[in-house]
Amino acid sequence: MRFMVIMKYDGAHENQMPDPQYAARMHEFNAELVKAGVWKQAEGLHPTSKGARVRFTTRGTKVIDGPFTEAKELLAGWWIWECRDKAEAIEWVKKIPMPPLPADGGPEVELRQVWEMSDWAPEYVEARESALRGAQQKR
Amino acid sequence: MRVMMLMIPGGYETAKPGAMPDAKLVAAMSRYNDELQKAGVLLALDGLHPPSAGARVTYRGGKPKVTDGPFAEAKEVLGGYWMIQVKSREEAIEWARRVPATEHDTVEVRQVQEFEDFPADVQAAIGQAERERRGIA
Repeated sequence: MRFMVIMKYDGAHENQMPDPQYAARMHEFNAELVKAGVWKQAEGLHPTSKGARVRFTTRGTKVIDGPFTEAKELLAGWWIWECRDKAEAIEWVKKIPMPPLPADGGPEVELRQVWEMSDWAPEYVEARESALRGAQQKR
Repeated sequence: MRVMMLMIPGGYETAKPGAMPDAKLVAAMSRYNDELQKAGVLLALDGLHPPSAGARVTYRGGKPKVTDGPFAEAKEVLGGYWMIQVKSREEAIEWARRVPATEHDTVEVRQVQEFEDFPADVQAAIGQAERERRGIA
């Protein structure tokens, strides 16, 4: 099963750029994941100072520019891993190298299973297909 | 540039494990995904099982601490993402505004870090294997 492994910081400690020592340790960890056949995908994100949020109202959309310094949880980067089960994924999550942690901040890692089509009940898939067919006919 | 659009659906923080989204909403999302694909901007997308099925790990004092979901304090949680290839931040935001979302939802738009974005010493530290992984060897 696939898992998304999400590295989060709070708005006040949002990661700017990795230092070379930490980047090297993370790179070694990624190499272990690749060797174990676990690593599928990974990316880092630029901080929210370059980002934006879109809110949706009945009158239309509203765009709010970052940074989002009051936010408790911001996404800094993520992996997609292929693991036997949640327990195996958690064992790998515990091994993720961490930067030196401030007393009140520091990252949290969230582990979430990725939806596959096979997860969805057959009657649900059929309801979705029929809704899509209905939409096609209206065009 | 590559950009992530992070779907933050209102109320997903209390969804039970295995909760299915409304079929009409999924149909609307499918049509949106088709538009992304037809425009040639879609690189990847995934939906996530709710946090009640997940876990969180903190690392204070060097000791990993695992907490299973659900997470009572969580106000916003990730429901899924798209990764798109666009020419500008403005183009990404225009796509984000077209997500079939409700007034309870938020879409966050974030630029993906490319290898060239890292300072020279970091590039040197992560080296050739990383270049190869990214297809820029």
